Amino acid sequence: MEQRTPTLRNVAWLWFGIAIAVLVVGFRQAIFLTPADAAQGDVGRIFYYHVPIAMLSLLFPYINFAASLTYLFWRSRDPLKALTADALALASAEVAVVYSSICLVTGMIWGRVAWNIWWTWDARLTSMLILWLLYVSYLMLRRFSSTGQSQTLAAVLGIFAAVDVPIVYMSIRWWRTQHPAPVFGGGANSGMDKSMLPGFFWNLAGWAIWGVLILLFRFALERRRQLAEQEAALHAIEASLETPQ
Amino acid sequence: MTWQSFFDTSTMAHRHLLAAYATVLVVQAGYFGWIAWNWFHTKERRY
Repeated sequence: MEQRTPTLRNVAWLWFGIAIAVLVVGFRQAIFLTPADAAQGDVGRIFYYHVPIAMLSLLFPYINFAASLTYLFWRSRDPLKALTADALALASAEVAVVYSSICLVTGMIWGRVAWNIWWTWDARLTSMLILWLLYVSYLMLRRFSSTGQSQTLAAVLGIFAAVDVPIVYMSIRWWRTQHPAPVFGGGANSGMDKSMLPGFFWNLAGWAIWGVLILLFRFALERRRQLAEQEAALHAIEASLETPQ
Repeated sequence: MTWQSFFDTSTMAHRHLLAAYATVLVVQAGYFGWIAWNWFHTKERRY
């Protein structure tokens, strides 16, 4: 344990450095090197942050889904393994809320200029808002439930919440929306100009590396909190046994 | 685009571009900072 911790810390710092470096390159590509969009002008540069973060916001719910299933599987078989899965479920739900919040806010900021409105109740925006609400309610349930079963209830909610992810993804394919058509895999007219690709992929890589960093950091924090709680409980039991009768 | 035009707030389009990038960076840095603060304020188990 004493040897593993410094190694993990060095890997974490290296990962942090790589994330910052890739994000700096991505920012430079998006703002300074890529030409302005022919139709939208400079406000089209919001695309380079909005789209990669929106795509990544649909991945973290699946980590929550897998961790929630794992928690339910181990809950009565091996509670210590279940606690680890629960920590990952919590971390992934929080990161999903962070990424989907940014997706919604940057989309609204762009929409006010492009559409002259902050919001419209079209299928993509509404399904994304529902996804955000589901994971906010997941976190609220964990924070405020006093049943003693909040981890189990949260795991069940996490499994149901993941159902919204394919609906968000398919919404611009199933329904005609005000939201722009799919950039990738949307038919003959989809795709982006070659000059936009470096800005897009550097930012996709940068926010993906950053997302993994904050997910693992939050997971490690939750594990540290769980272990401190266990230690405190153990001390309390020991203290109660030492109390003279 | 240059740094000067990035921070140019004379038009709505430029203000919104700056606001979108600032929102992303502030939210991500804020969440990272919150985790880091809690990390250093949560006692590590001794055994």
